[in-house]
Amino acid sequence: MRTKMKQNTIEKKISEEKESKENTFKRIVNWFISNLKFLFIPFSRYETLVEKEYDYEKTISKRLFIRRLKSPLTMIGILIVFSIVTIAVFQDWLTLYPREWFINQVYSGAFDPPSAKYPLGQTDLGYDVFSRLIFGARTSLTIALPAILFSVVFGVIIGIIAAYYSGPLDAIIMRIMDIMMAFPALILAMVLINIFGQKMEYIMLAYGLLGIPFYARLIRGSVLQAKSLPYVDSARVAGASNLRIMFRHILPNVIQPIIISFTFDIGGIILSLAGLSFLGFHDPTLIEWGFDINKAAGRIADAPWASFWPGIMIVITVLGFMLVGDGLRDALDPRLKNL
Amino acid sequence: MSMIKYIFRRILAALPVLFGVLTLTFILSRLMPGDPVLATLPERFTTEQYLAAREALGLNEPLLNQYFDYLSRVFTGDWGQTYTIAKGRPVWDIIWLRFPRTFDIAIFSIIIASIIGLKTGVIAAKHRNKFRDTFFRGLALIGVSIPVFWLGLILQFLFGYYFDILPAVGYKTSGIGDPPVITYLRLIDCFISGQWYLALDYLEHLILPIFCLSFITIASITRQARSSMLEVLEQDYIRTARAKGAKEKDVINTHARKNALIPSVTIIGLNFGGLLAGAILTETTFNLHGLGDALLVAIRYTDYWLLNGIVFLITIIFILINLMLDVLYAFLDPRIRY
Repeated sequence: MRTKMKQNTIEKKISEEKESKENTFKRIVNWFISNLKFLFIPFSRYETLVEKEYDYEKTISKRLFIRRLKSPLTMIGILIVFSIVTIAVFQDWLTLYPREWFINQVYSGAFDPPSAKYPLGQTDLGYDVFSRLIFGARTSLTIALPAILFSVVFGVIIGIIAAYYSGPLDAIIMRIMDIMMAFPALILAMVLINIFGQKMEYIMLAYGLLGIPFYARLIRGSVLQAKSLPYVDSARVAGASNLRIMFRHILPNVIQPIIISFTFDIGGIILSLAGLSFLGFHDPTLIEWGFDINKAAGRIADAPWASFWPGIMIVITVLGFMLVGDGLRDALDPRLKNL
Repeated sequence: MSMIKYIFRRILAALPVLFGVLTLTFILSRLMPGDPVLATLPERFTTEQYLAAREALGLNEPLLNQYFDYLSRVFTGDWGQTYTIAKGRPVWDIIWLRFPRTFDIAIFSIIIASIIGLKTGVIAAKHRNKFRDTFFRGLALIGVSIPVFWLGLILQFLFGYYFDILPAVGYKTSGIGDPPVITYLRLIDCFISGQWYLALDYLEHLILPIFCLSFITIASITRQARSSMLEVLEQDYIRTARAKGAKEKDVINTHARKNALIPSVTIIGLNFGGLLAGAILTETTFNLHGLGDALLVAIRYTDYWLLNGIVFLITIIFILINLMLDVLYAFLDPRIRY
């Protein structure tokens, strides 16, 4: 009897655990929606206003935000980003030749002009240019996004800690950041990739490290301003710990510039990654636009298609992220409200 | 007087950063895989030869000793020798040879870019949300998102091969000869020695790289100039000027422009620093044999001394440019006092 009861309780626990695991994703999404909406809707944190006033402000600002975001250039940007992401996700359905076709093989017809079989021409080893364009989208995004997330997360943490605990800690951290900023970024990236090795993870890591000082500086300035505001003092009086003040009270109020520059930087990183792979600092197992241009650069005189199309893809992708960044800045930046 | 004091203080404040960059380059260069000894040896060598060469380069010493040795050498002006680009020549020689070429391209592009970029930025802001604004903004956005090496390749294809009106690669027609080395700047040397055709040839080769770099720089300067001009146009004193009946042209030219251009100076300076360091891509595309090209060789073949020397030089220039900008600020904006 007793053992049966025990078994029952164990089974219950297991089923509960299963349920909670299933709900984790839902809970994360709910948390984002309920806690982080201020990222997208200005004024949504002003909950102290009278309820009606609050509702009014919210709808107005929401409408304003959407209206400002709805400028034609921004819509083009969103469309471009959306289609690039679609290409990256569904690459296997869009290519003419499977991925295995491009590994360790040589085909006849190097640098042949466009034909019915190869709509955009062929590369140095006889590969199909069009399919390589499709495969390159995923490579760009998978390297750029984690790299920039890495630098945002660590840059924000370092910047907040430096500004909040000012004094010697701040001085030391900021001197290190100054040194990293004074070092030319492209050169540092090449040296780091050379040290770590030419693998996708390491290229991401190198880029992540490079971006940290920028975000740390960006957030440090605004934290220094926000630190002296009354709400920080009242949080401290209410007994909030330093960690809580830093990440629950200050961070949400200073994160908007980060969100804006984040979008720009995705474009910037894709651009400089293309530059690095053009110079040969790339993961040789991946298909990259920049390296395709490198391979075809020597034959620009008689086979321009092999280097023209990858470049067009880079321009379009970067342009998409820049347009979205521009739109977000116009919509979110309170200084440009009247423009 | 206070200005001199300020400059002195700034230089003192830059010293720790310089020191840090030196340390960082030293650590990073020692971490690089690859062996700098191999470049000093002939193609076939014995173990004894290898060990002797290693000893001669001072790589058998403890790392800390090497570090202090390196520091003392850097500050006495001995930046070591390179074995990858040229066998056993001092790094300074390579820098003197390569840097002027990079400098030429950078200075021409920055001058062209600031003249055009500031102009277009002001025009775009003046006609906000009109056709001209959208046009220049779109062009600037494309300029920001275009890869410089790809633009170079396309220009090469168009003007070098398709229309065939400009030389596509290199910095001189092969076999045309060099002017005597006087100031190390090829263009000035040509003029001093009176070899006009050499100067023309050189300029002809520089057109495409300069166009390429300035297009990208114009884009970022335009964006900066436009947004700071818009910010200024929102100010109270502009409204006052309009209210008292000043012509729109006068409002823009005498009231707004000067205030708006001050923030753009920062962008121009930063871009110039970036052009010097980032010319690697352009130089590779156009096969110009400049500083960036040397740097690439240094990284690929683990040349400690060349890498450290070039990075140090670029850092010094970067810091000097920042200092000059801050001094320039005081001249442009009399409200700033140091």
